[in-house]
Amino acid sequence: MNCLDFRRRIGAEPRSRDPELLAHRDACRDGCGAFWQRAQRFEDDIEAAMAVPVPDGLADRILLAQATSERRSQVVRRRGWLAMAASLIIAFMGAGMYWRHADLNSLPALAVAHMPGELDALDLTRPMTDAQVDAGFEGRGARLKGPAPAGVTYVHDCWVGPYRAVHLVTRMNDEPVVALYMPGTMTAGDSDFHRDGWDGREMALSGGTLVVLAQGASRRTMDAVARGWRDAIEGQQAPSVGRI
Amino acid sequence: MAPVKKGVNPRQRQYEAMVRALSADLYRYAYWLSRSEATAQDLVQETFLRAWKNLDSLRDAESAKPWLFTILRREHARLYERKRFETVELDDTVAEDAPFASPERSGDAAQVRDAILRLPEKYRDPLAMQVLGGMTGDEIAERTGQQPGAVMTQLFRARQRLKDLLGGRAVAEGGRK
Repeated sequence: MNCLDFRRRIGAEPRSRDPELLAHRDACRDGCGAFWQRAQRFEDDIEAAMAVPVPDGLADRILLAQATSERRSQVVRRRGWLAMAASLIIAFMGAGMYWRHADLNSLPALAVAHMPGELDALDLTRPMTDAQVDAGFEGRGARLKGPAPAGVTYVHDCWVGPYRAVHLVTRMNDEPVVALYMPGTMTAGDSDFHRDGWDGREMALSGGTLVVLAQGASRRTMDAVARGWRDAIEGQQAPSVGRI
Repeated sequence: MAPVKKGVNPRQRQYEAMVRALSADLYRYAYWLSRSEATAQDLVQETFLRAWKNLDSLRDAESAKPWLFTILRREHARLYERKRFETVELDDTVAEDAPFASPERSGDAAQVRDAILRLPEKYRDPLAMQVLGGMTGDEIAERTGQQPGAVMTQLFRARQRLKDLLGGRAVAEGGRK
């Protein structure tokens, strides 16, 4: 290292402890040692000048600002969580109300709700004629494409909720089974249900929906009645499903 | 200063220790950047608030000071961007306020301070990072995104310009007894 390099380095980094610099300082006979001494004193002056007074309580004010900011953030976060919780509750309540509304307006619910006014029909035992059964369907703008099941004891035009329906009672093995046929009312598919003491089945037919209901009837009887009405309405060969 | 209390979480303890250990140097650096006491205080507050939010990115205690200096430098640049269109620059060579209008503003230190205030920012900034932040030329280069050689030149010229500004004063050449 020559003197020029040494002085340039010291001019930029007077406090450097680079061994090469210090070795040159100690070995140089051309005044680099004195130059280094002057540079150190000048650096002392710069350091002293730069050490400006710090405002009283600066650190405490910084900590206070941080604590205040943190507290505010916590409040905002808490409010965020509360808002989210409230939103979830409202969403659940809305979903619950929607589900309940949808459930109360489902065909099974409407069908079961229709039954209290028609309970007397379950006690009838005298069979209806085919003409009476046909007339019941025609009253609702529908026509049977096959023979009605045997043992029909009741035919009536009814309203099931907002839907026009043919209300039928078929007695098989001394068990009354209700069939509600709603022409033009379409459902997605077949399903069984149990509701308010009624066993039921909702069936999608080509021209409407058939709901079969019974209280305490055997599954076999319900299956036979459901199959019988489906064949009658859709036109397949209806087997004899029972007798009075 | 209040002692660190039990029950304070480690993050908070680290932050408080950092504030108490480094706020003075950080304030001084802010002052030499902004040349304003009020602005320097705002910058330090903002810097520490940002540091609190990003404290998890600080890996070791040794890098805390350069890390804070870098945050403050960015804050100052942001402030400058915001203020650039709002203020009218009256005199680039005069400080906004006079923090040394106190009994200690006398003699050599006051003259050196005046001279430092007159340095262009491109010299004043690396000089303050070196003197107050204890950073080497390479560290300053890394923090400011410059070439090390350019930083060394700025540091050299900063001192040369100071000597020029201080004129023939003995102090400029370290000629005190």
